[in-house]
Order: sequence, then structure tokens, then C-alpha cells
Amino acid sequence: MTFAHDDINQISNVRRIENFALGAMNSLCMELTHAVYAHDDVYGPYCTLEEYINCPPGVVFEYLADGRSLAEWTYSLRDFANTEDPEVLVSTDRIGGDTKIYVKTVVNASAKTVDYHCAWDQMQKLWMIYLMRIVPAELVLDKPGSVVLWTNCHHPYYDHNPFPEEAPKSRKVWVGDLWPFFYAGHHVEMQNLKAILEHRAGS
Amino acid sequence: MTNLSLLGTASYLPERVVTNDFFGESDNVMFRGSRERRHAHPDESAAEMIFKATNKLCERLNISKLTDVGIILCNVTLLDMPFMGVGASVAKLLGAKPELILDVHNAGCISFIYMMRIAKPLLETTRTKTALICNVQNTAGPIFGHHDNIKRPQSAIPGDGCGVGLFALSDISPVESIVTYAYGEYADDMKLISDEGAHWHAPRKLSLHLNFDERKIIKIIFRGNKLVPSVIREACQEANVRPSDADILITNQPNPFFLRNWREALEISECRQVHTFDEHGNTFGAAIPISLERAHDRGMLKKESKILLGGFSHAGDYAAAAVLTWHKGQQA
Repeated sequence: MTFAHDDINQISNVRRIENFALGAMNSLCMELTHAVYAHDDVYGPYCTLEEYINCPPGVVFEYLADGRSLAEWTYSLRDFANTEDPEVLVSTDRIGGDTKIYVKTVVNASAKTVDYHCAWDQMQKLWMIYLMRIVPAELVLDKPGSVVLWTNCHHPYYDHNPFPEEAPKSRKVWVGDLWPFFYAGHHVEMQNLKAILEHRAGS
Repeated sequence: MTNLSLLGTASYLPERVVTNDFFGESDNVMFRGSRERRHAHPDESAAEMIFKATNKLCERLNISKLTDVGIILCNVTLLDMPFMGVGASVAKLLGAKPELILDVHNAGCISFIYMMRIAKPLLETTRTKTALICNVQNTAGPIFGHHDNIKRPQSAIPGDGCGVGLFALSDISPVESIVTYAYGEYADDMKLISDEGAHWHAPRKLSLHLNFDERKIIKIIFRGNKLVPSVIREACQEANVRPSDADILITNQPNPFFLRNWREALEISECRQVHTFDEHGNTFGAAIPISLERAHDRGMLKKESKILLGGFSHAGDYAAAAVLTWHKGQQA
């Protein structure tokens, strides 16, 4: 890796100690630090959660890496089955009644990342992506167990279903209508994950 | 003397107390009910409710009667007669000959603040000295308590009640700022409907009921979470008051979650928030004047107390806030 020779301090919105004095930085940090944050400011464009699980990182990774585990720890995904694509599972998301949800699990064992690429109703474009990473708690909290990080990004399809013709006719809800509740819903599911894994680990 | 001042508020609550068991159990937390609420009898007119509350206000203010009131402004959820409004009937009961009567049909839960905003320029441009602002919520008994509607999850929430406030141009307890917003884009997300379909005014067998657009219900919650603190902050800025320094917060009262969220967002402790949700449910537009009376009865209105009023109506089509100083520069 070699750095380009342009002056990055000249790029707008780049603030470094060379072009933005410590006093100004402190003042900016004060301005950016509120006592209370609106829900939309925190969870509007992205929804990130984190939790400590008293269970070894390898075990957490193996559990999450099997997409069928979603039938256990999620609130409403049930009845997993194979599809014609060996990498994609189909199940029912009972939040949407008989809504089909398609899931492709993409993992990286060395980074301990597990990404669920999902979509309601169709499997051509798996746009609802749940990004998860397991961090050994030994490294970050100086104790055994795992820290699980989980992020969703507010894909524009959450606002407008691009495949309305694929939806069950009687369904009134769209997954994106629930976005303001994603933090709360995912919090409940993260607690499910923690409770199940800690129960099985006997911790 | 160009300030609009609040002279006092009073309430009238129908006699019939309805406890939660009347509705059966609801598992919908969105519409989690209060302990009890009052239900108006279908024969009890809104004008009579206003008359009774106004008589109580006269007692509180130590005036014999309010025959010389100049302006009457009314917001009533269920009109005694849809064509005529109730203002003239109120004047009749009071024996008053006001210069102006306005029946204000919009702005629902924040119509008290809206009517304050309307009253100020009217008082400045008329011969009259005082304006009586009246809110009646009377749908809980006749509509939500109707046997067709009792089992609906939203039916336990509303309560009936009337709140009135007397205002004058003076510096006694001035309104320091009023901010109002209208959001037309949210106008059609709440509707009065019937399972029979057809227009609300069509002959029918089943009662009407209020309904929110099912797909938008979560969005409406988040609208409310956002709109109310933001409009109150704006009114505070205009009045040069920090929300967290306010002595009293009174909002509209749709459910305990909104009450908590608004208080937290404005960093106002629970003991400084006044509401009557537990015993009166959601009294819509009447909640603000009823709660002002509650604050007075609890001895919370002290000299120079800063009072924040705010809220949103329906599914977010109106939002408003005001800042008042109680007994500014006087002994309480």
C-alpha cells in the first residue's frame, strides 16, 4: 500500500489535527454530544445491536453459520426447507402471515462473520442483509465468551416493495413498515440467541 | 398590554366511571388502557358540559357569572348537532352575548393551543376583553362505549371530559410563545369508519368507529415521538426557556408510552409532568385544560412557573406547543 501524494487536509470534511485544532475538535465533540438522541437519529439509516453471550466464540459461530438455526432464535422465521438453489433456504416469516422468506447464509470462518442475505416473497434479489460478527470477549472484555455485533442497513426497498406482485394477496403489512421497530424486535431476538446459547453451554 | 394571559382553567367530568373490565382484556400494548375513564351519556350535550365547567371556572376565579365574555371558541369531538356547532348553545346557557363565536373543528388533541393562537389576534382586533376556550371530548361513551365497538382494542383508551380556559389580554400569566404546524401529508391516516362502508353520514345499522391506517400505525407512533418534542423545543426557543428548566409539562395524552417518551426527550422529570391519563384516559383536546386545572389543584402553579404545553393531533396532521409563565412578576 502506498499513499497518494495529494494533500488530504484539503479535502472537505476531513478533520485532522493538522488542519483542525484540538480546541475546535473539543468544541465540535461537545456540539455532537447530546444528552438524549431521537430514535430516528440513532436507528433511522442503520440498526446496530451488540450483546455479550457467555458461550465460546467458535460455538456461537457454528450455530449462527447454520441458517436453519434461525428457526430457533428468531421471533417468527419457521419451517425451513431447501430451494432449487443449494445455497438458498426458504422459510415462513409468520410476521407476514404466510409470507415466504428466502435466506442465503454467507460466512467467513476466520473473521467469524455470518451474513444472512434475505428477502420476502422472492429469491432473485436477496436485499435484506443481516450482518453479524462474533468477537472473542477475551479480546474486548477480558473475559470468556463472545460479543455479537449485528447490523442492518436501511435498504430503499424497505420503503417501497419493488416486487408487490410476489406478495400473498391478503397481506397488508410490508417488512419495511416495521423498520422503526427493528431495534426492539432484534433486541428480543438477540436475547433469544443469548438465552438459548447460554442455556446449552450450561452457563 | 399585548400579551395573551391565562386567567384560569376548570373541568367537568361526566359522572359515570368506567373501569377496565368493561372492555375485556386487550393484548394490544398500543392501546393499553388506563385504570378508569368517564363516559358521557348520549343525552348529555357538549354545551351543558361546557356550561358546567365554566360555572366551576367562575367559582375558581371568584366571579359570579361569565355573561360579559367577548369571544367563545369551542372544539367538540362529537357535536350536539353537526350543522350548527355548539358555541351558540354555550352562549345561551351562559346568558352571554359574545362578539364572536367560533366552532373550531380541526386540530383535535391540540386544539386548545390552536384556539389560544386564534384568540390572541381576535382579542387584539375586537372590543372584547376575554376569550373562553372550550374543549369537549365526548366520544368515549357514545362511540367507543357503544356495544358495536366495546371489544375494539382502541376503545378502552378514550375518556370523556370537558376543559375550559379563560384568556385575556394582560400581563398576569402571559403566553410567551405559540408554535403551530399543519402536516397535510398525514391528514388521511385516521378515519371515522363503519364496517358497513359508505359515508359516515349514510343511514346505517352499526356504529362508526375511529380507525388508523393499519400499515402506518408504527410510523404514526414515530411521528408522534418526533413531532411533539420538536415543536415544544421550538416554542421553548422562542420563549427563551430551556425545556429541561420548565416547571410543568402538559401534553395531549394518547397513551403512557408517548407520555414517557416526550418527557424523556425533553429531559423533564416525571414529577413535573402533569396528566390525567390513569383516571380519565385520553380526553383528546380537553386533556390540556383539564391537566392545567390538575396542576393548579396540586399547588404546582407557583409564581413565575414555566408551563410547557404541546402535542399532536389525530395521526400527526397538526402539532402545536406553547410556553406560559404563571403569575409573572407577581405573588402567586
